[in-house]
Amino acid sequence: METIRINDNITLYYIPMEKLKTTSIGVYLHRPLCEGEVSENAVLPYVLKRGCKAAKDSEAVAKYLEELYGASFGAGVSKSGNDQFIHLGFETISDRYAAGGEKLTAELTRLAMSVLFEPVSFTDEVVEIEKKNAVDRIMSELNDKRIYARNRCIEEMFAPSGYALSAYGTKDGVMKITAQSLKAHYDKIITSTPIDIYVCGSADAESIADAVKPYVQGMEFTKAKLPKSEMLTGGENVKRVTDRMEVTQGKLCLGFKTGIAPTDSDCYALQVMCCVFGGGAHSKLFSNVREKLSLCYYASSNLLGLNGAMLVNAGIEFENFDKAYNEIMAQLDAVKNGDISDWEYVSSVKALVNGFEGFKDNQFAMQTFHINQRLAGLTDDIDAVKEKIKAVTVDDIKRAAEKIELNTVYFLTGKEE
Amino acid sequence: MELKHITSDITGEEMYYGTHPSGLGIYLIPKKGYSETYAIFGTRYGSVDSKFTVPGETEVTEVPDGIAHYLEHKMFDQPDGSNVFDKFAKYGGNANAFTSFNMTAYLFTATEHIEENLAALMDYVQSPYFTDETVQKEQGIIGQEIKMYDDSGNWKLFFNLLNCLYQNHPVKKEIAGTVESISHITPEYLYKCYNTFYNLSNMSIVVVGGFDVKSVLDVIEKGIKKNEPFTEEIKKIYEDEPDEIAKPYAEQSLSVASPLFMIGFKDTDTGYGGERLLKKYIEVSILLKMLFGKSSRLYKELYESGLINNTFQTDYTVQPSYAYSAIEGESRDSKAVYEAVKNEIERVKNEGLNEDDFNRIKKVMWGQYIRSHNDVEDYAGTFMQFLFMGADYFNYHDAYAKVTFDDVKRRFENHFVTERSALSVINPV
Repeated sequence: METIRINDNITLYYIPMEKLKTTSIGVYLHRPLCEGEVSENAVLPYVLKRGCKAAKDSEAVAKYLEELYGASFGAGVSKSGNDQFIHLGFETISDRYAAGGEKLTAELTRLAMSVLFEPVSFTDEVVEIEKKNAVDRIMSELNDKRIYARNRCIEEMFAPSGYALSAYGTKDGVMKITAQSLKAHYDKIITSTPIDIYVCGSADAESIADAVKPYVQGMEFTKAKLPKSEMLTGGENVKRVTDRMEVTQGKLCLGFKTGIAPTDSDCYALQVMCCVFGGGAHSKLFSNVREKLSLCYYASSNLLGLNGAMLVNAGIEFENFDKAYNEIMAQLDAVKNGDISDWEYVSSVKALVNGFEGFKDNQFAMQTFHINQRLAGLTDDIDAVKEKIKAVTVDDIKRAAEKIELNTVYFLTGKEE
Repeated sequence: MELKHITSDITGEEMYYGTHPSGLGIYLIPKKGYSETYAIFGTRYGSVDSKFTVPGETEVTEVPDGIAHYLEHKMFDQPDGSNVFDKFAKYGGNANAFTSFNMTAYLFTATEHIEENLAALMDYVQSPYFTDETVQKEQGIIGQEIKMYDDSGNWKLFFNLLNCLYQNHPVKKEIAGTVESISHITPEYLYKCYNTFYNLSNMSIVVVGGFDVKSVLDVIEKGIKKNEPFTEEIKKIYEDEPDEIAKPYAEQSLSVASPLFMIGFKDTDTGYGGERLLKKYIEVSILLKMLFGKSSRLYKELYESGLINNTFQTDYTVQPSYAYSAIEGESRDSKAVYEAVKNEIERVKNEGLNEDDFNRIKKVMWGQYIRSHNDVEDYAGTFMQFLFMGADYFNYHDAYAKVTFDDVKRRFENHFVTERSALSVINPV
């Protein structure tokens, strides 16, 4: 990988992946996840997508992309720890496959930079439509009860920390936005945000850097740092929350404090532990809660690694709450006691190693991996991570599991008769 | 056995292929530097194949609907009672299977122990084991799966559209069958279907990724169990399908966030596969982008008036015995979208298609083809799908180069006939 610093805030990372037939450009703006700007950040990428100096409106953007053999351009917003990142993703077939010899990557870079630095879409018409679409995204998260229960549990665990917020913002926050206020927000953050530009595939990093520089010449930047994630604290008393809605299936979500930061030596043991516990068809939750006791339609665990937390999600019949809860806790106790079969251990390590190795064939996964490592303050590459996973022993898993404490029990259930 | 080797200067891809004496088609596509390998072992047999004549027999066999999918589930039961997934998990392989209208396939992805994973795949797909007890046990599980689909807005939207477009063709039937139809499934029926459609001469294996050709071929050859290839085709029987659609409109209320719509155009130019089918696929795909893609006049009008959002998309599904294109999305006024689509077709009929648009969009199809080689799973899946339709995806360029603006103009007249279109809508409860 090549790293080229454009200025204090903007860095270009080039990851050569010549074996693939495409080249992608991923632009990431890292903002702190907080009430004050979460909704602006949630709408901004979709407005930026609507037009720039190089392609003035949606139709022009679409035609620009089509001329590049159907290059793709997606915009979005997401969160990783307390980082709410705005993402602009572009991809084209690599230059050597252009039948007419066109310089596709250079043309796509031009569009990417124009979208980022030369937007022309802050009009009332565009902003109103994208506000409506942003509200639709928030509503569809409410409608998906599985996501809703998960978000509610996170909210109860983390509030008032920024991590409690959804990256999509709030309905009220979105409704308050105007074309003017969004433009002002853009003007403020474009020079005061860490911006990563990832290029993966077949390209010349130096010439891309040269193409980027003119766009930022003459702009004044305020040096900014990556948002810092907050570890889950507290939890002397377990928080128990029940919501009632018109649902046919109950959603149980358990939140745990792991007490293990991504830089702790036990963080790899924690990953294997989570995989043994509920990370797939070989896991304890799957084979006991689902297969053996038929208590749920799904049951799995996953880590919020940057925030020192673990979640367990299960879809259950309302009346099975106690049984499912008890069985999940019993399975966690089994892991804590080191009651892990050879097969569970081997399958978990293999699944994780296989997953990490697979990133190497996927440009987006490579970008995400690298960003998450940086957010965690780590420098290991994929092979080093694989080795550390392989080195985890059953004793390590047991030790990591012993640190885990129940923090929040969230249950979404039906309305009372 | 010796495999043939071909390379493509245009894509830089290579392929080793051949037919084993057992009848099995073998296609090995090694990709230099890849970490993942994906293997798919599939049969030309899907949910539409409930009526057929077994080679060598004169009588027509008719089996309960949903049996191809049921059979897929039952392939995971092993004679020794072992669990198939456990074997893959031990070697880090991620195994799965699926049944579509025209194909049933068993597959895995892995980054190591490719040979061990492949041996496990070869073994279980050739080890049928059905008893009254195990077949009975599956009724409840698949019954639950069918009910789950009954609640799915997108699934119902799609099947309601197919039931508008088709009067007789079995593509309009649910892939998993109905609770009633699967209650008639017996081990005898399963063996009959297995022995017919899982004859290796009706199957192929495609492997794509970072593997060693010699050792993979070796595992495949050793893994092939005794099989007498059919010398003639399995005759699949589909009822005659008239050109006319069954009905122009369907709606249903389900628990969905926003109202969903799907507009379909029934393709009546069917009955063939091969390169001709691949060329038609390219033509219709170009037209869908010209008429309804993001750079189109209609997309702009609908998006800016708030009638559609970025879930709006188009797709063309093609098989030798049926084909249709679909336009779908979310809208607060689906009927207005449908009217706008029909008006746009009328307008283009009068004013003609734009050649600049054609040239630009044709390039998009090239980019799509090049891009499809990136992901081992997508590539192997697409390759097999076209293989089963007698088309050569490896040499896509041959069909692509033949597509002219005149072809696309003719295709437009023939495909976008509003009398052969229908609208399916799902409203929130």
